[in-house]
Amino acid sequence: MNSAVEFVALLRAELGLPLTEDDLERALHELPGWESVHLLWLVTILEQHTGRRINVVDLLEAPNLRHVYDLAADEQGVRDAR
Amino acid sequence: MVADFTAGTLLELAAAGRLAAEYPLVCRIVAALAQQEQAQGELVRAGRLLERVDPAEIQRLHPDLPGVSVGITGHGTLSGLTPPLRAEFARHGLVARPMVTGFDGYVRELGDPDSELSAARPDLVLCVLDPAMVFDEVPLPWTPEDVERAATAKVALIERLAERYTGTGRGTLVLNTMPLTRRHTAQLVDWRSRARLGAVWRQANARLLALAEQHPSVVVVDLDPLVAEGVPVGDDRLGTYAKAHLTDDLLAAYAREIGHLARNLVGRTKKCLVLDLDDTLWGGVLGDDGVDGIELGGGYRGEAFLAFQRVAKQLGSQGVLLAAVSKNDPDLVERALRDHPAMALRDADFVQVVANWRPKHENLAGLADRLGLAVDSFVFVDDSPYERGLVRRELPGVAVVDVDGEPALHAARLLRDGWFDQRELTGEDRVRPARYREEAARKGFLDRFDSVQDYLRELDVRVRVGPATEPEAARVSQLTLRTNQFNLTGRRLQPQDVRRLLHDPDALVLAVHVADRFGDSGLVGAVLARWRGDLLHIDNFLLSCRVFSRSVEEACLNWVLRHARDRGAAAVLAGYRPSSRNGLVRDFYPRNGFVPEGDDGTMLTFRHPLTEIAPPPAHIRLVEVHEAP
Repeated sequence: MNSAVEFVALLRAELGLPLTEDDLERALHELPGWESVHLLWLVTILEQHTGRRINVVDLLEAPNLRHVYDLAADEQGVRDAR
Repeated sequence: MVADFTAGTLLELAAAGRLAAEYPLVCRIVAALAQQEQAQGELVRAGRLLERVDPAEIQRLHPDLPGVSVGITGHGTLSGLTPPLRAEFARHGLVARPMVTGFDGYVRELGDPDSELSAARPDLVLCVLDPAMVFDEVPLPWTPEDVERAATAKVALIERLAERYTGTGRGTLVLNTMPLTRRHTAQLVDWRSRARLGAVWRQANARLLALAEQHPSVVVVDLDPLVAEGVPVGDDRLGTYAKAHLTDDLLAAYAREIGHLARNLVGRTKKCLVLDLDDTLWGGVLGDDGVDGIELGGGYRGEAFLAFQRVAKQLGSQGVLLAAVSKNDPDLVERALRDHPAMALRDADFVQVVANWRPKHENLAGLADRLGLAVDSFVFVDDSPYERGLVRRELPGVAVVDVDGEPALHAARLLRDGWFDQRELTGEDRVRPARYREEAARKGFLDRFDSVQDYLRELDVRVRVGPATEPEAARVSQLTLRTNQFNLTGRRLQPQDVRRLLHDPDALVLAVHVADRFGDSGLVGAVLARWRGDLLHIDNFLLSCRVFSRSVEEACLNWVLRHARDRGAAAVLAGYRPSSRNGLVRDFYPRNGFVPEGDDGTMLTFRHPLTEIAPPPAHIRLVEVHEAP
């Protein structure tokens, strides 16, 4: 996952939510169709997609998708792995 | 073509807001995805998309599709269950209407008749149990005895809830065993305590499993076999942070089982397993390699094919009808099934063996027609992607199982889905294959003839008549006990009675074996007679209904008459004692040269003077054995 564009596409495919890049900064509860279980699903989705462990607490506390993206994005993953 | 559908198609439908409108198509796509190697992930993804669709809307648009309401309750967070459940139901052409109750609310939901769940009266209630529900209750520090107490109390609670719910609810309650994980066993440092923990844990699970026997409306899914496939039980992070004590993968595997249960609930359990032959039931190509050249029994691959045959046979023993559909030379197939020494599946194990060069989907449709079954009740196993694709496209209701060049995996591929899962087997299930086999085969054969006589001639009936042997005594006894229609006097004999007659020099106990071109029916008839001076008295004459209408009885009687005449008998005497079931043989003796001799109110007696014995039916090959072996 190399870009926010790719990240949003992934979420669209996996969650079936009609998301765009503009939604990255919006509060999760403001997203169309968003439900709290989606964060739990994202743990599995992102770990399978990136092949790396994600910080679950940070993910569960993420205020928006930008935060989730940062957690999952490559550099963050490398940092977490250290 | 369905095989070309991918998750992408589903995504396009989702993006266009067409999932509900196109639900039948969605079902076909999901069914195709379910057959892929990485099916679980694809199904869960499809299920997440379906989560965005209101089941009521699907049912409004497609009122013909069966809906199954599913109440979901349990101890932990179960958010991972609904997506695979939606997808698993979709692949079976069902609409799941899940209703998830509040977190950890199972006690109230099941125990209180006014609860949301009890009031909704769903078709299925899934009460998902996990190991944390016991370990949450043990003190710190804890011993195996503490776990035993907590587990016993918890299981007792579940037993009471099951009792109460099944007493008032109308649906099926589904429970599950609680897997024991290393996270718990490893907290005990001595092996003895650890073993003790394992023992008390399994006792609790055994009590849960026993609930299925105590309550007809309870199903208990054993999670151990699913876990043993390599599915992780829990993810400690999600267990700790989100109280999700079972992984999404395990819930997905569980959902797969529930999908088949739902299928059974709406009467869609599969009935017939249709198997390809070359490279499915044996290795190699029969036409090229010959009966002796195929891989079966010996060698690495031969062992694997044999193992798969044994699995099919095991299914067949429980009422699953087995059929073979193969592009092959029928004579060669017949020889292979009959003559190959290692073959576990013989001709008689199949309700039909279809070997020809017609397209498989046509053969499947014909087979369904002859068996009187819907083609949707078929599961089709073939190693050829071409044949599978063809059947998927032409007959979307058929469940197609992909097997490939690795025969050791054939069984797992077939068993991955519980296509034939039932709540409970009955005696009827066990005999059903034989009945279908005989009826279907002969009916199909009969259809090809203008007259019954032509049919009988081609049926190639072989009748072997001769004195019964010691090992046959039990079966002869069984015929007297179970046969009601073709039973001339109703005289019942226990096995020991028959054995005594075998050693009686004046008694004649004949065993009648019948076979025809469709196979061997086995010992299906018996004649019990006794010499009194120079008269032979037929005490009883029995024939299983499986071989009616083929003049087998006339051939047997002919044997008896000639046997009597050759031994110098003056006449053969016989009786008919009417019962409520044996009216069809009232005229059996008079039709065959006997003259009425008396009627004492309970028994009609007849005499055959042996002056003229009609020849045996021309269409029957009579194999005679006149001396006791």
